[in-house]
Amino acid sequence: MAQTVTAEAVGIAPPLAPARTPPRPHRRKRVLTWIGVHTLAVTAVLFFILPFVFLFLTSVMSNKQALTSDLWPTSWEWGNYTKVMETPGFGTWWRNTLLYAGLGTLFTVVSSLPVAYALAKFRFRFRGVALMMVISSMMLPPQVIIIPMYIFWAKQMHLSGTLWPLIIPMAFGDAFTIFLLRQFLLTIPSEYLDAARVDGCGELRILISIVLPMIRPAIAAVALFQFFYCWNDYFGPQVYASENPGAWTLSYGLESFKGAHQVNWNLMMAATLLVMAPVILVFFFAQKAFIEGVTLTGVKG
Amino acid sequence: MHRLPRLRRSITTLACAATLALMASACAGDDGGSGTGAEEAPDKKVTITFWHGWSAESETKAVDDLVAKFTAKHPNIKVKVVSNVTDDKITQGIRSGKGPDVVSSFTTDNVGQFCTSGSWTDLAPWLAKSNIDPATTFPKPVLDYTQFQGKRCALPLLADSYGLYYNKDMFAAAGITQPPKTFTELAETAKKLNQLNGDGTFKVAGFVPTFHAYEFSAAHTLAQFGPTYQTPDGKSNLSKDPVVPQFFNWQKQFVESQGGFDKLEKFRTTFGEEFSAENPFMSGKLAMTMDGEWRTAMLAQDAPNLNYGTAPFPVPDDQQDKYGRSYLTGTTVGIAKSSHHQAAAWEFVKFVTTDTEALVAFSQAIHNVPSTNAALAASPLANDEHFKPFIDAFKHPASNTTPASPNGGKYQVTLSEYAYKWEAGQGGDLTKSLADLDKQIDTDVAQVK
Amino acid sequence: MTTTAPAAAEVPAALRRQRRRRNLRTLAFLSPWLIGFTVFFAYPLCATVYYSFTRYDLINAPVWVGLRNWNYVLNDYPPLWQALRNTLWLVVVMVTLRVIFGLGLGMLAIRLKRGGGLFRTLSYLPYLAPPVAATIGFAFLLNPGTGPVNHLLGNVGIPQPGWFNDPDWSKPALTLLALWGIGDLLVIFTASLLDVPREQYEAAELDGVGPWQRFRYVTWPAITPVVLFAVVTGVIQTMQYYTQAMVAGKVASGIIGNSGQSFEPGYPQGTTLTLPQLVYEEGFSTFNTGAACVISLLLFVIAMAFTFLLLRRRSGLLDDD
Repeated sequence: MAQTVTAEAVGIAPPLAPARTPPRPHRRKRVLTWIGVHTLAVTAVLFFILPFVFLFLTSVMSNKQALTSDLWPTSWEWGNYTKVMETPGFGTWWRNTLLYAGLGTLFTVVSSLPVAYALAKFRFRFRGVALMMVISSMMLPPQVIIIPMYIFWAKQMHLSGTLWPLIIPMAFGDAFTIFLLRQFLLTIPSEYLDAARVDGCGELRILISIVLPMIRPAIAAVALFQFFYCWNDYFGPQVYASENPGAWTLSYGLESFKGAHQVNWNLMMAATLLVMAPVILVFFFAQKAFIEGVTLTGVKG
Repeated sequence: MHRLPRLRRSITTLACAATLALMASACAGDDGGSGTGAEEAPDKKVTITFWHGWSAESETKAVDDLVAKFTAKHPNIKVKVVSNVTDDKITQGIRSGKGPDVVSSFTTDNVGQFCTSGSWTDLAPWLAKSNIDPATTFPKPVLDYTQFQGKRCALPLLADSYGLYYNKDMFAAAGITQPPKTFTELAETAKKLNQLNGDGTFKVAGFVPTFHAYEFSAAHTLAQFGPTYQTPDGKSNLSKDPVVPQFFNWQKQFVESQGGFDKLEKFRTTFGEEFSAENPFMSGKLAMTMDGEWRTAMLAQDAPNLNYGTAPFPVPDDQQDKYGRSYLTGTTVGIAKSSHHQAAAWEFVKFVTTDTEALVAFSQAIHNVPSTNAALAASPLANDEHFKPFIDAFKHPASNTTPASPNGGKYQVTLSEYAYKWEAGQGGDLTKSLADLDKQIDTDVAQVK
Repeated sequence: MTTTAPAAAEVPAALRRQRRRRNLRTLAFLSPWLIGFTVFFAYPLCATVYYSFTRYDLINAPVWVGLRNWNYVLNDYPPLWQALRNTLWLVVVMVTLRVIFGLGLGMLAIRLKRGGGLFRTLSYLPYLAPPVAATIGFAFLLNPGTGPVNHLLGNVGIPQPGWFNDPDWSKPALTLLALWGIGDLLVIFTASLLDVPREQYEAAELDGVGPWQRFRYVTWPAITPVVLFAVVTGVIQTMQYYTQAMVAGKVASGIIGNSGQSFEPGYPQGTTLTLPQLVYEEGFSTFNTGAACVISLLLFVIAMAFTFLLLRRRSGLLDDD
């Protein structure tokens, strides 16, 4: 797991720290570099943070003021947030989103783990091919197969207008999750498993009682990814649930909000921030797992 | 060593079998609903779903009132109402078989698509059964846009016409006494009404003639010229009708006379939502606008102090004899083929489209033009000073609508997409472009046949 | 299967049984995925091919029309080429800028001693904003008439572009949105920059080479695989580009698809059109499913070509450890 860099590890001790009596750099040059680096850093942070600030300021403006180019609200309309939350449907969208994200995440993790385990730790002849297939479907744009999938769910299963066409397939493994879990599992030394096998443990037992506790951070990371994926999904609900507002998710409902309720920028921004808030809260609590996950997608291999 | 290839083969076989099974069922499973509901007992308790596209608060309430009147008369039929349904959702819902029983759409262009695909039930047998003669019940224009090639799969539920709204206080301040009647007058009047900020941007615009400015769309405006969209054999006629290039050139001149496209578009991005109280005409950002008759109701509710007038929308200078005409459209209502309660659905459709009292009240509530001859005669709206021009436009012989087409409003989309390019100065050679549009529209129609 | 190979015959029955059990066990572990792959990948892919040769409006049974849909999409369907041109633009400009920006930020992040953690957290935050919300937010921020960005630009006297409302600026506006959500690349690049062996820097320092050469000869070779990974996945993501372009177009045009309005994807003037949007438009708006399937298959071919590129260059993905 050498490559997995945790949040804390990143940024401790600059890599350029001289080890052996380096030529003493000019003090002035060092100060200038310091100023340069920090100016850039502050600029970058402003670029990332200011949008949130502006969205917030607009969200507490009055209807009229939100249609001007004013930056600062003259009257602080906190009631905008109540109005959004009281909008018919907003509560339903919350529930639907939680259902979709919650069940989707659970199904994905449970169904993907054994597959990832087999791909990482079993030796069988078509492992390479299987892995190729996993990666191919990971890269497949979801729109490629959407027409037959829609026909299947709508005409055969009669499940359009619900979120089930999005949730059920997650009980059959998700390529990205399988791939990521496999990358984690590869880092577990096989000796552990062999020892258990000698003791007569079945593979399922090994997976549950030995492997699972060891890869808890990995499970957390993929669960988070999947949760965010469902939370953010716009295309899926648009295709399967657009005809039934009772099945909309926050992401889809947010986009329709403007048309459905003829709201102006202020309420729109309040709704936008309300949709962003939970994701950002989750991040603050699970930052470490998340960053480990992202790191692993790109650095390993 | 031989076991694995066999395993692989069996997996392949399994996969193919599954695929074939699914595909076979995919092809066979298209019953698309049934007409069994016709045999239902008339007093059986049923629940039907009604989809409509109204979204403003006052309008959805009026629909609910209309439905309440129906259920008072038919206590055995419960109606579940879903508002703000767009055409995409309608097609999708009906095709998936999980759509509504009764469905309504604002896009009359789509009637052709709904009729030819069979997604909306043919209403002729129902009309005959209920002894309703459409020809004497409904005015001619609404009859035309609710059928396609002789197939009546929709009925009108109120109608819309368009006109000019103008702010009387702003007119007075600029010393203007009469609303403009010709396009030349329109541009001159608009110019006088423009008020600019210190940096040269608009504070108030006399008129915003760009195609994203809400109701000022290509179809609505082109109607003032009386275009012929299709040849008798159904081919696109844009390049052969001289009024089409005339229309495009007029719009370009109009835009330039008001300060140019960029400036107008920038101003447009400050508009509030069309159906909110922050609508630009209602909030005083526009001195004049093209809008439908429904705006009178919203003005009464959300801007009761606005001193405004309505008039027919101006006409081209060489067609002054046609002053009073407008684009006509309306809400169409039909029964989804996939509905399992066709009889109950028909009761509902019959009530909302032909019950005079209900129609008058509904049109009064949302200020739409009544869509039966009886309701039109009985409606007190005809005496409303603001509303009268719209009823007149509705009855005007030169008023017109966009013809239906087998692929719905796609030709309108093609036309308006070109209009957007055109107004931004990227339309290229007009003659050649119109010929290309015709070709594209004909190809698109052939594609769905 | 009675043809037992001599080698297999020599294997003791017990061992054979064990091997058989092992295969069954493997199959059991893989089964969720095998079913999923068949039902939600192989079958729909085959069906897409089938439907691309039919006219099917989902109400009446499919009718075989041969190559008509292919002919239509490839010869008589201008949006296809516009979508491909847009995608190429996004690949060249957006993906490249994202990699450069991400790399720059990563190098900045590892130089910060104090406040480094805060810097990374704050830079990472926008990546988490749900795409729909972020896009609506940007459509407001960049709104030519009421948005704060143009307000500020006006204050300092910089020309104010029309952003999402201007055909020349719509893709740059999307690029800006993509740069705002740079968090994923930032994390990857920071991690890989920290993996560059420190001794090499020290050696370079002793040789007295400048910062550019240090980057060129020490940093770059070490991080090339990660950069390549970022580029290829970036390209694949661009092939799937849908939500941001769709939502930005809807919000900026003011036409949100209310009943009676027809929203044209790609606003303004098709400059934000991408292949997935065309699939949606043809498949679920006009129900020209045959044409939608043809576009899907073109998308599939392009995406797979890039996937193979990734697999070939990063065969490491398939290694055991």
